[in-house]
Amino acid sequence: MNQQVRAIADLDRIIHEPGRLMIVALLYAVDRSDFLYLQHETGLNKGTLSSHLSRLEDAGYIEVEKTYRGKTPQTILRLTAPGRKAFEQYRQQVKRAL
Amino acid sequence: MANQIADLLDRPKEYYNVDGVGEMGIGFMTLGYALFGWLNSHAPDGSIWRQMYTLFIFVGVMVSIVHYGSKAIKNRITYPRTGFVDYRPRDKYWIPMGLGAGVSVVISVGVVMGMRRHWDLSMAGPLVGVLIAVAYIRIATTVRWKWAIFGVVLAGSLAVALLPPDVVESFGGLGKSIPAKLEGSFLLTFVLYGAALLISGCVSFWLYLRHTQPPAQEGE
Repeated sequence: MNQQVRAIADLDRIIHEPGRLMIVALLYAVDRSDFLYLQHETGLNKGTLSSHLSRLEDAGYIEVEKTYRGKTPQTILRLTAPGRKAFEQYRQQVKRAL
Repeated sequence: MANQIADLLDRPKEYYNVDGVGEMGIGFMTLGYALFGWLNSHAPDGSIWRQMYTLFIFVGVMVSIVHYGSKAIKNRITYPRTGFVDYRPRDKYWIPMGLGAGVSVVISVGVVMGMRRHWDLSMAGPLVGVLIAVAYIRIATTVRWKWAIFGVVLAGSLAVALLPPDVVESFGGLGKSIPAKLEGSFLLTFVLYGAALLISGCVSFWLYLRHTQPPAQEGE
């Protein structure tokens, strides 16, 4: 197998899915954001976004904090150190593969 | 694909000014500096506007208004409508502070060199205005109508450059510490740039309110 093909095969499949890639890229650029911001920026509906976030949380790539802003529930999301590292590796692999 | 990821990484930075608050803040600060500069150069000797401590108080008040005003708008309007973002300390503090310090040093060194070598400093203000217009291209590429603001700042800077020297000098006070034409050209450029950004920020804010919905009562 040549290196380019191997780079594609080695891509992190959790991040590689388009919806999750958008989420991880947006969270990578900030310290933390809330659910509403991600929904607004990605254009995903609540159910799909929740499902992607659960998958990322299970992988240990994001931290989810449930809190309140006034009387309104708010979900704060932050990329963890392993999530940050995984995204950096993913970008390098994509560059090598293309 | 690498370009699309790079675009996504830039989106949170653009989000900071989605409501025009960033531009309103810079416009307000720039107009404030112009006002202080004008008062400082036109006030009689011994006036409080000629004291260094007044500058620190004035800047402190302006920074507080911008900081707490922006925070209030974001907390009450922007975050409930389109979401909350907290930026990394590097983007929030270190890069803006580094850029600000770098630009200040470059301008100060340029002015001192110009005064020592007797350059025609009436062009310094318009030159800074042109550089500001060029820097504004980054914002204009994200929102098409903001090219008009770029045009206004660029055309205004050129208009300041074409003003008769005595008109520029009349804005610059007595020319005790720095040449009146240098001070005048900077004051005119700052007024132009500050007003353009303040208006642009207010228009952005109005458009943001029109195009976004107030929050629903349900949680997520």
